Amino acid sequence: MKKVWKFLSSMKFAIILLIVLAAACSLGSFIQQGKSYEYYASEYGEQVGALIIALSLNDAFHSWWFILINGFLCFNLTFCNLIRLPELIERTKSAAEIPDFSTVSGETDNPEGAMKRLGMPSPRKLDDGRLISSKNRAGLWGAWVCHLGILLIIIGFGLGQSVKQEFTAYGVAGQTRALGDTGLNLTIDDFQVLLREDDTVEQYVADITVCNPENGECRSATISVNNPADLFGMRFYQNSTGWAARVNITKDGEPLQSEVLCAGEYIPIADKPELIVSLTAFYPDYTSSGGRPATASGNLNNPAYLYQVYYMGEILGMNILYGDEPLTIDEYEVRFTEPQSYTLIAVKRDPFTPLALLGGLVVTLGLFLAFYLQPKRVWAVKNGESWTLFGECRKGGVLFTDAFLRAINQGDKNDAAS
Amino acid sequence: MLQAENFLFTAAMLCYFGAMIAYFVFVAVKNDKISTLAVAIQCAGFVLHTAALVCRGIGAGRLPLTNQYEFATSFAWGLCLVSLIFIFRFRFRILGAFAAPVIFLIIGYAAMQSKDVKELMPALQSGWLGFHVSTAIIAYGAFGVSFVISIIFLLRDKMRAQGFLDSHIPDREKLDMISYRSCALGILFLTFTIVTGAIWAERAWGSYWSWDPKETWSLVTWITYAIYLHLRIRRGWQGRSAAIFAVAGFICVMFTYVGVNTLLPGLHSYK
Ligand code: HEM
Repeated sequence: MKKVWKFLSSMKFAIILLIVLAAACSLGSFIQQGKSYEYYASEYGEQVGALIIALSLNDAFHSWWFILINGFLCFNLTFCNLIRLPELIERTKSAAEIPDFSTVSGETDNPEGAMKRLGMPSPRKLDDGRLISSKNRAGLWGAWVCHLGILLIIIGFGLGQSVKQEFTAYGVAGQTRALGDTGLNLTIDDFQVLLREDDTVEQYVADITVCNPENGECRSATISVNNPADLFGMRFYQNSTGWAARVNITKDGEPLQSEVLCAGEYIPIADKPELIVSLTAFYPDYTSSGGRPATASGNLNNPAYLYQVYYMGEILGMNILYGDEPLTIDEYEVRFTEPQSYTLIAVKRDPFTPLALLGGLVVTLGLFLAFYLQPKRVWAVKNGESWTLFGECRKGGVLFTDAFLRAINQGDKNDAAS
Repeated sequence: MLQAENFLFTAAMLCYFGAMIAYFVFVAVKNDKISTLAVAIQCAGFVLHTAALVCRGIGAGRLPLTNQYEFATSFAWGLCLVSLIFIFRFRFRILGAFAAPVIFLIIGYAAMQSKDVKELMPALQSGWLGFHVSTAIIAYGAFGVSFVISIIFLLRDKMRAQGFLDSHIPDREKLDMISYRSCALGILFLTFTIVTGAIWAERAWGSYWSWDPKETWSLVTWITYAIYLHLRIRRGWQGRSAAIFAVAGFICVMFTYVGVNTLLPGLHSYK
C-alpha cells in the first residue's frame, strides 16, 4: 500500500501522466470532435468508428478517461508538493548556514572581491571567521509554486466546466429576448456595424439593456467585439452578426402581420397557422456563383431573399425574391423589406475563471523563480594566508562552475596587474 | 514606408544568406576571423531586419504581428535575436552555423507569403494580441535555439573526430546547460503566450480555453517541454534523452505554427 502511495506521488508517475496527457490531447486534435457515429464510420470505417464512440474519442476533452488523467495529475501534484514542503521550509531557513557540500571550490586572496564579481551580495561573517554570502533563496520555491499554479488551473477549469452557464440571444434593434432560464430579459437598444472606407468591418457595436422583470431593475451597457460588459453577474459578449428583414403579410390587400425575422427564422400566418413562411437566407448583393446563390459584397446593392413555404409540415415551395418583389399564396401576399443586421450576443457565467487566471499567473511566477532565481551560496574559509572559496549552485551546473573559476582567476589577474 | 520595408527586408534576407555562407566557410576552412565576419553579417542582418519591422509597424499603424507574413518574419527576427544573445553570452559562435540556415529558411518562408497590409477584423483589435504574439516570437526563437543546440548535442559524438570543431563546441555538460537555459526562456515565454492568449480569447469569444487545435497543440508543446524539464532532473536521464525531448518539443512548436493550419484542414482555425 505504501509503495503504491509512493508511486502515485512520485515524479516518475508525473512524467508518465504528462506523456499520456500529451498523447490524449493530440489524439483529441486529430479526430474531429463532436460528430456522430455515422461521420466516423464513413471517415475511418465502421470498426474504428465504433471504437471512437465507445472510447468517447468524439468528445475526448470531456471524457471520463481525460478527467481521470487530470484527477491523477491533481493527486500527484498535491502530494508531491505536500511531501516536499517541510524540506523546502528547512532549506529556505538555512540560507545563512554553510552547506555540508560544495559544487566547486578554489583558492583566492580576496574572497570578497571574488564574491562581488560573481554577483553575490556582501558576505556575513560567522563567529568562527568564515564568510558566507547567499542569494536567490526564493528560487528554491520555483517548482513548488509552479506546481501549485497548475493545480489551481486544473481545479479552476474543472469547476468552471461543471458550473458554467452559457446562453445566446439574437435580434435586431428594438427586440427583447428572454435570457435562458435566468428570468432576465435582454433588450437590444441599438446595433451598428461600423465600416471603414474600404468597406471592411471595423467593429460591431450593440447597446443593450438587461432587466429583471420581478423588481424592475435594469442595467445598460455598450458592448463590442473584445469589449464585453458585466451585468447581473454575467458577462455579455458581442459574438457575431447576420442578416434580418421585416416580413409584411397582407390578406386581400389588408395588412395582417409585420415582424422582423432573422435569417433562418420562420413565421406562421396569423389566421392560418398551418401555413408557414421562412426567411431561409438573405443575400445583400446577390449573384449566382456556379448555380448557387451567393453575395458579392456586404453592401445592399442587390438584396435578395431566399424563402421557403410550408403547409402542414410539407414544403410547398422555395425561391428567391428580389428587392421588395411580392410572393402571392392564395389570398395572402408576403413581402420582405428593411434588410438589417441582427446581433448575436453570447452570455456567460463562470465564477471560476478568476481561479484559473490566478493559476496561470502563479505558474508564470513559479517558472520565473525556477529559471531565473537560481539559489546560490558562496562561502570562504581562511586557510593560512589565503582563503578557500566554496560555491554551491545545483541548478547552475558547469555554467556556475565556470563563472566561479573565472571570478577567482580574474581576481588573480587584477592583483598581478596592480 | 512599406517600400522602405520591402527594401530593408530584402537586404536583411541577403545578410542572413551571407552570414550562413560565411559560417559554412568558417566551418570548412577553420579560420576564426571568418567566424567574426559571420557574426558581424548576422548582426547587420538583424539591424536591417529590425528596421524593416519598425517600418512595417509605422506603415500599417499597428504592431506587425497579425498575418502569416508578419508572424513568419517576426519569428525569424526572434530566432536571430535569441541566437545572437546565446552566441555572445556563451561565446558559442558555431551556434550561428546551425542557426543561420534555420533563420534563412523562415525568412524565406515569410518572403513567399502575401505582404499586403490588411485592416484588422474586430476580434484581432486587442491590446492582448500584441502581448500574445510578441511573447510567442521570443518563445519560438528560444525553442529554435534549444533545438539547434540539442541537434549539436546529439551529433557531437559524430563530429568529434575533427579536432577543430571540438575546440569550438562546448562539452556535453555545457551544451546540456545552454540548451536548458534556452528551453527555460522558451517555456517561460510560451507560458506568457498561453496565458495572454487565454485572456484575449475570454474577452473576444467568451471562453478562455475551448480546445481549438491551435490551443491544444500549444498545450502539447508546453507539456512536452515540461517532460523535458523533469527528465533533466532525474538522475541518469540527463543529456541524450532530454535532448531528444527538446528536439521533439521544437517539432511540436513547428506543428503548432504551420501544421495545425495546413494538416488539420477540417478543423476551424481562428487565426
Ligand atoms: C503531476 C505533475 C508534476 C509533478 C508531480 C512534478 C514534480 C516535480 C518535482 C519533484 C520536481 C523537482 C524539483 C526540484 O528538484 O527542485 C519538479 C520540478 C519542476 N517541475 Fe514539476 N511536476 C509536475 C508537473 C509539472 C508540470 C506540468 C510542469 C510545467 C511546466 C512542471 C514544472 C516544473 C519545473 C519548472 C521544475 C523545476 C525544474 C528546473 O528548474 O529545472 N512540473 N517537478
